[in-house]
Amino acid sequence: MQKSGLLPELTPKRREAFVGYMFILPTYIGFSIFILYPLIESVRISFQEFSLLRGSTYVGLENYVQMFADARLRIAYINTIIFTLFAVFFNAGIGLILAVMLNRRLPILMRNLYRSVFFFPVLIAHTYIAVIWRFLYQQDTGVINYYLGVFGVEPIPWLSNAHWAMAAIIILDVWKNTGFAMLVFLAGLQSIPNEYYEAAQLDGANERQLFFRITIPLLSPTIFFILVIFMIGALQVFDTIIVLTQGGPGDATRSVVLYVYEIAFRTFNMGYAAAVSMTLFAIILILTALQFWISRRWVHYE
Amino acid sequence: MAQTQAPAFKQAKPSPAKGRKPVNIGDIFSYAILTIAAILVLMPLAWMFSTSLRPTHESFQLPPAWLPTKFSWENYVAPFESSVPFVDLFINSMRITVAVTVGQLVTCSLAGYAFARLRFPGRDLLFLLLLGSLMVPFQVTIIPIFLLMRDLNLIDNPLAIILPGLISAFGVFLMRQFFKQMPQELFDAARVDGAGHVRSFFQIALPLAGPAMATLGIITFNATWNAYFLPLVFLNSWHKMTLPQGIALLTGYMGSGNPSVVMAAVTMAILPVLFVFLAAQRWIIEALTRSGLKG
Repeated sequence: MQKSGLLPELTPKRREAFVGYMFILPTYIGFSIFILYPLIESVRISFQEFSLLRGSTYVGLENYVQMFADARLRIAYINTIIFTLFAVFFNAGIGLILAVMLNRRLPILMRNLYRSVFFFPVLIAHTYIAVIWRFLYQQDTGVINYYLGVFGVEPIPWLSNAHWAMAAIIILDVWKNTGFAMLVFLAGLQSIPNEYYEAAQLDGANERQLFFRITIPLLSPTIFFILVIFMIGALQVFDTIIVLTQGGPGDATRSVVLYVYEIAFRTFNMGYAAAVSMTLFAIILILTALQFWISRRWVHYE
Repeated sequence: MAQTQAPAFKQAKPSPAKGRKPVNIGDIFSYAILTIAAILVLMPLAWMFSTSLRPTHESFQLPPAWLPTKFSWENYVAPFESSVPFVDLFINSMRITVAVTVGQLVTCSLAGYAFARLRFPGRDLLFLLLLGSLMVPFQVTIIPIFLLMRDLNLIDNPLAIILPGLISAFGVFLMRQFFKQMPQELFDAARVDGAGHVRSFFQIALPLAGPAMATLGIITFNATWNAYFLPLVFLNSWHKMTLPQGIALLTGYMGSGNPSVVMAAVTMAILPVLFVFLAAQRWIIEALTRSGLKG
């Protein structure tokens, strides 16, 4: 273990640097092979007409031009954006409501119990949850339609109708992930000092004013963080969809990542797939940057 | 709101309502909402469990019997006797998950320590570069990694999943934050005793890093255990697949599999997660709250 003994000729400063480089070496080898190299390589492949058998040829911007004429890609982007808007809104909104309610006067045991229940689905694989919900969503035999029927709702074609299938995926996503938003919001709420509320109450503020004038502004960095994290995650939705609907019916729930996966690993059109994935990467970067830019207008840092 | 707690706590006057405000409409309302939400969260899981115990011919029964009348434990044996090699899948998943978790604990603790407590030229730039990689989505890097694994003849080999999993920018970040919080005096004292940097790491920093290592270990274990995309891309023969792949296949095309058996398999797959969650709830919740990593 005493590597220093092996290097008697180095000065202490150089010895420290040497140990430092040795310590980060495993991480940097992995980083170079599995992140840096693939990132650069992906850009290169996106300019190629790719063939597993015949080898690849450079085709310039052809893959990028092809995207404008690709109707299925346009649908995949529209689906992904619709999913992202709804998933982010409901995950963050319901998570915030649950957190605010948990932050009221509750016995600590009850609060921890509710918190654990809401959070547990976050830890379960999307795959398993989609497998469970696929049975729940069945039109004739599913539990969901049965209970809706009790209230007089006609059986809903959850997985066979284009609009309902998208709703089914959004509902599942909110069921699974809103607990994460709840957890982060609750931590944010609990870090707001009580003095603010006490002072405002002395000035005669009511609960609604407390919420909109104190809670929301002081929570704005947390809200911003949740919006960014959920947006980045939602734009890459894949696991749930491939198990629940496989992109169907038709192309109604095909997301961009599912589309990339299919072109890359079912038809092995790697060049085009790489080009599509580059556009998604660019869109994620631009939207994230945009959120940071807009956030300067509404997020209050103390 | 939280502010109602503090005044009630301060004025320790004995009052009929145990020093608390009487229950108001808002409290009842939020209790009701929270309870409904909790039921909605638990119902699919309860359905999963009760269906897993139901005899096959009752598995589509409506209304669902939430409490099974008979306990058909044979549903839990059925996956092992099906055409899906359930034991192999479990072992494959466990092998990949353990290898990735141990690997990340080693690489991330070493790099995290170096970035936190050692000085060397280019340190901050190298760290920023690593952090920047958190922005790169997996679908951008997967195609070149697939071609690389194909050239190395690692398609349908668990190494194709383990190797990229051995490092983690997030893990390095987590460990760095932890090592940075350790008091400098500890390391000064070790230096005076003649300990080198390597010995300081192994004998001082690492023994104190238990909570951080546990946190990283749990997060990595869970993420790898649940992973679906990488196995789907790299593993394609029955006896090489992982558990999520196997269960997705057991469900069958358009959910044609036997619900009772599928739910028994899912219950068994979720159990490790439940146990880890119950045992290490506080760490998981604290770590996720602070780091803000999505499940």
